[in-house]
Amino acid sequence: MTPFVYGLLTFLLACAIAVSLSKDLLNSIIIFMSYSLIMSMIWILLESPDLAITEAAVGAGITSVLFFVTLRKIHALKEEEYEQEE
Amino acid sequence: MSKKNEKYESTLWYRLKYWVNGEEEDGIVEKETDKYEAHLKRVSVEDRVYRAFSEIPNDGEEERAHYEELRKELLELSKRYETWPEKRGVKIFNRIYQVAAVILCVFIIGILLVTVSYLPEFGNKDNPSNNEVSERYIEKGLEETGATNIVTGMILDYRAFDTLGESHVLFIGACAVLILLRVDQVKKENTTKEEIEEANTEEIYEKDEDTILKKVAFFLVPTIMLFGIYVILNGHLSPGGGFSGGAIIGAGLILYLNAFGYKKIQRFFTYKTFSRISIVSLLCYACTKGYSFYTGANHLESIVPLGTPGAILSGGFILLLNICVGMVVACTMYAFYTLFRKGGM
Amino acid sequence: MFEWIRFGIVVLFLFGGVIAACCAVYGVYRFHFVLNRMHAAAIIDTLALLLVIIALIICSGLSFQMLKLLLVLGFLWFASPVSSHLISRLEVESEQEIVRKECEVEKR
Repeated sequence: MTPFVYGLLTFLLACAIAVSLSKDLLNSIIIFMSYSLIMSMIWILLESPDLAITEAAVGAGITSVLFFVTLRKIHALKEEEYEQEE
Repeated sequence: MSKKNEKYESTLWYRLKYWVNGEEEDGIVEKETDKYEAHLKRVSVEDRVYRAFSEIPNDGEEERAHYEELRKELLELSKRYETWPEKRGVKIFNRIYQVAAVILCVFIIGILLVTVSYLPEFGNKDNPSNNEVSERYIEKGLEETGATNIVTGMILDYRAFDTLGESHVLFIGACAVLILLRVDQVKKENTTKEEIEEANTEEIYEKDEDTILKKVAFFLVPTIMLFGIYVILNGHLSPGGGFSGGAIIGAGLILYLNAFGYKKIQRFFTYKTFSRISIVSLLCYACTKGYSFYTGANHLESIVPLGTPGAILSGGFILLLNICVGMVVACTMYAFYTLFRKGGM
Repeated sequence: MFEWIRFGIVVLFLFGGVIAACCAVYGVYRFHFVLNRMHAAAIIDTLALLLVIIALIICSGLSFQMLKLLLVLGFLWFASPVSSHLISRLEVESEQEIVRKECEVEKR
């Protein structure tokens, strides 16, 4: 089990660094989603399924949806540019 | 209107009803504006001066000149009196405000620092939180709370008061987002062109909904809702609980909204239902666990029997509290999404 | 003997799933056009998932767990193709110029 956990932890670190380093906001949100998915797997391995469910529902689901909506509101997504050109 | 009606409108119950429904208080607002205008008329000092001197006696020229001087002086005085709050008053109020804010902050910081000095050393292995508390939870949790899932027993029975604070935090967050992002009520009077355009684009997006998404959501939304309800109701028996179940139900509501549009969801979920559900469930929670104020945060013993551990109807108040928390969380998640996207529900 | 045969089938299906997932990930990075990449990514959601869950069903045998795994499979087969469909539809709607150049997609 331990190599699996180490792999997850390295992925977690890589995701956490990549979120702050990526220049595209959309990319960083998607990486953040994967971060919380890995985090929920780690919660399950730490035997706290309650937190895992909450993390998967809130972190990967609702937070990222809210982020996407916010990006659209502040016109930071690419599709907006195309619409304005039309 | 008859007298009875007016009396009824001025009663507390009428106002409460309007406030709960969230409707525009037409009658009351009109009355208040009338009152405000009357107040303005009453207050403006110039008017008073004019009124007082409108009947100038025609006795002699000297007296008339004397009266006119008096009138000028009074007018100047009244102007000074009226502009005083704008010029000096605001400055003085700002000073007082700053000083009071600094004093309050220093006071709170001092209290917190004094409290910290009483705490045991951080990370010390002999601390009670590292030994006795967790021992107590693990050994006597099932016995005292009646919940098979110790985590839920801890959250909703030993520390039910903290969870009350948590759900209030969520509610306050929804209120803050509502204050910042709500547009539809104010829209009628003052909207910029951009906002109107945005609303129009939203409507255009809604028109070409996807048939595939609709057909799939028709099957998926009930499943997600059912799973969320299961997670909430089984919170004291299996992993899960109010918060996660509420988040799942909120996600289901968001999916429903995206698949079928605002018109369909407004048949059963509007701003009214949001406010009613969250207020009622928060009040319910506060009533069931608020008495820990008077018992010194010792609220384990209750009238409700604990029941056999493992059954759905067990664990005292835990089931009810789970349902309350779940309702608040689901409503808040959905409210966040709609407020961020459209600025209204 | 029977155990060994079952183990072999499980390993076969698991490896099939993993290989399908690896091919899909390679495709996501190999292709440049968005719809092709979406197609590659959707393989993970359907084929790789199917193979892995079949392996897990054989591994768990006839039990209640099998029904749960089938439920997971059904749920994901319902949900994830729709999500990839929506993403690709958004792509077709927003970036029309690339669509005209690279492949023929009927614009809705």
